[in-house]
Amino acid sequence: MPGATEYIIVGAVLFALGAVGFLTRRNLIVMFLSTEVMFQGVVLNVVAFARFHHNLEGQAFALFLLVIAAVEAGLALGMIMLLYRRKRTLDADVWSMMRG
Amino acid sequence: MSDLTPYILYLLFAAGAVAVYFRMPRGKDSKLAAGAIFGIAALVGFFALLHTRIAAPVDSRWYFYLFSAIAIAAAARVVTHPRPIWSALYFILVVIAVAALLVLVGAEFVAIALVIVYAGAILVTYLFVIMLAQQSGSPMYDRRAREPFAAVVAGFLITGVIAGKIAESPPVALPLIELTSVAVGVETTSAGESDNTLAIGNLVMVRYVVALEIAGVLLLVAMIGAIALSRKKIPSEVFGESATPLGQLGKEVDPY
Repeated sequence: MPGATEYIIVGAVLFALGAVGFLTRRNLIVMFLSTEVMFQGVVLNVVAFARFHHNLEGQAFALFLLVIAAVEAGLALGMIMLLYRRKRTLDADVWSMMRG
Repeated sequence: MSDLTPYILYLLFAAGAVAVYFRMPRGKDSKLAAGAIFGIAALVGFFALLHTRIAAPVDSRWYFYLFSAIAIAAAARVVTHPRPIWSALYFILVVIAVAALLVLVGAEFVAIALVIVYAGAILVTYLFVIMLAQQSGSPMYDRRAREPFAAVVAGFLITGVIAGKIAESPPVALPLIELTSVAVGVETTSAGESDNTLAIGNLVMVRYVVALEIAGVLLLVAMIGAIALSRKKIPSEVFGESATPLGQLGKEVDPY
């Protein structure tokens, strides 16, 4: 049985892949899909730690992570639709004037 | 446990980073075949390294290799695929593989919740938005990534710092748990069966009940926020396009 270490490494790889996607992709939808990939890495991490410490706290925490992910997806997709209706494109670079 | 392990791990992560960089949509000069070769080599090396480190050899480790390989490869495709609809479908594969990994550590309830909430609900919302907003064909912003090299270096650093540091520690042998039993946080039902869902229910409804209520309020707030956002009237700023067709969906429409 792989131990917590292997799970944490796989979780770290998923998290980094999601971060790379968020930084590189210019499509708003794919950017938020990448954040969901990062969420998967974090869920794997907390459940592995729960197993490591022999309790269920991490699994309960993963449930709350699911709530946050659902909230984030709902609001983010609503905002993406607003931005799309205004500019008729999903390109994130169109909004670069929002940089300070 | 030799001291070389972190360095081998860094090397494998570097190969994976090269693979992701080659697979990134970069217009004409994408090196897709080379990227695939680097990616497969990195995955094989990664699991060969893990195989030497596993402290307690049990049959379920093969499932671990299989599902984590699927998760990592599918996540790489989510990030690099030029078509968003394929990214969403590959993301479902990531969710299912991660759920299988959670089952392997005895988190059945979280695994099923993950499949229902992610693959069932969130992904459907994403597919709706892709259907509503995606232009036909493959637009320019999907074919050219932004600063792929810098981002890949950043991802390599994140993974290297987290995983390389962890790999320096000796492997931790967790107590053996067979696939069929849930030994983590065991609660037994009245019939005497062990039940992961029962144990999580006890924990969430007793110790974390306030957090649970707050989570419910948060969901309500997000729902109201999403409805308010989508009912707002947004004029199109695109030149030469009248705001009427989609603009009519806004304030002037009577509810129901």
